[in-house]
Amino acid sequence: MIDLYEYKQGLQEDGIIFSFSGPMSHEIIEGIGSAIRVKIGKGEDGDKSAALKVFSIFVEQVENVINYSVEKDHEDSQLSFGIVVIGKKDGHFFISGGNKIYTDKIAKLEANLSKLAKMNKDELKVYYKERRRAEKDDDSKGAGIGFIEMAKRSTKPIEYSFKNIDAQYSFFTIKISI
Amino acid sequence: MENLHIEATKSSPQINFNAQTNIQSISGESYPENTTSFYENVFKWLEEYMNIVKEQEIIFNLELIYFNSSSSKVLMDLFDMLEEFSEDGKNITVNWIYDEDNDASLEYGEEFAEDIESLTFNLIQK
Repeated sequence: MIDLYEYKQGLQEDGIIFSFSGPMSHEIIEGIGSAIRVKIGKGEDGDKSAALKVFSIFVEQVENVINYSVEKDHEDSQLSFGIVVIGKKDGHFFISGGNKIYTDKIAKLEANLSKLAKMNKDELKVYYKERRRAEKDDDSKGAGIGFIEMAKRSTKPIEYSFKNIDAQYSFFTIKISI
Repeated sequence: MENLHIEATKSSPQINFNAQTNIQSISGESYPENTTSFYENVFKWLEEYMNIVKEQEIIFNLELIYFNSSSSKVLMDLFDMLEEFSEDGKNITVNWIYDEDNDASLEYGEEFAEDIESLTFNLIQK
């Protein structure tokens, strides 16, 4: 790829402001996160509140990739691979994140996410508070409330998909709109 | 007892806990790489401090610009702990300080306030 212009134009046409595919780390959150906050929050048409909302979803999505992606460069690798895309379409920001998961985890994830997608703001708030005080799930590596946090901040119901790769693996994508 | 001071980093807040003035502050951003290990010393210090402090007024000033969901859980644990000490007779006030143009911070402060019963919890616009 010696000429990235068309690739870049393609992203631009889809309203994409930022796109990262590769190994994720805490430093990525800190570094790219600050750039996003500057890009959205500062300047003439800067919106500080939107910048923080987009940033907060970005943090939760990258943390999910770090904690749950099953794609690593070798067995004991600290680096998890995934993709995060931030864009703006029809006046709304969207943040999409994706990573490889085990196909047998889909049922549980799907049950959890479809429940969140059906909840209204008040229900999400009650559920968030309940889970925040609860003992965390065995499968959770963080506080276990990242998805609820995202759903709570989203202006539309959360959107997600699972794409089958092979018998063992699938690709999971989640999209949040603000 | 010794005071606890932790410098802020890009993803972790400044901690200033003072056993002489009884004013404890947490300020900045909170999305550390390992939330549990970052807050371990904070909780350890507070447990010791609450054992020696008597009827003096204790003030917690929390001024967080952003915190992730893991930190939100830790903050809830912190308020639950302070509420228990408050029920045991400690004189504790929590000030949740937020910036005017940070509506998420106000919203999250209000939600913590709703979950707290006996602890004095003030929402203060900066």
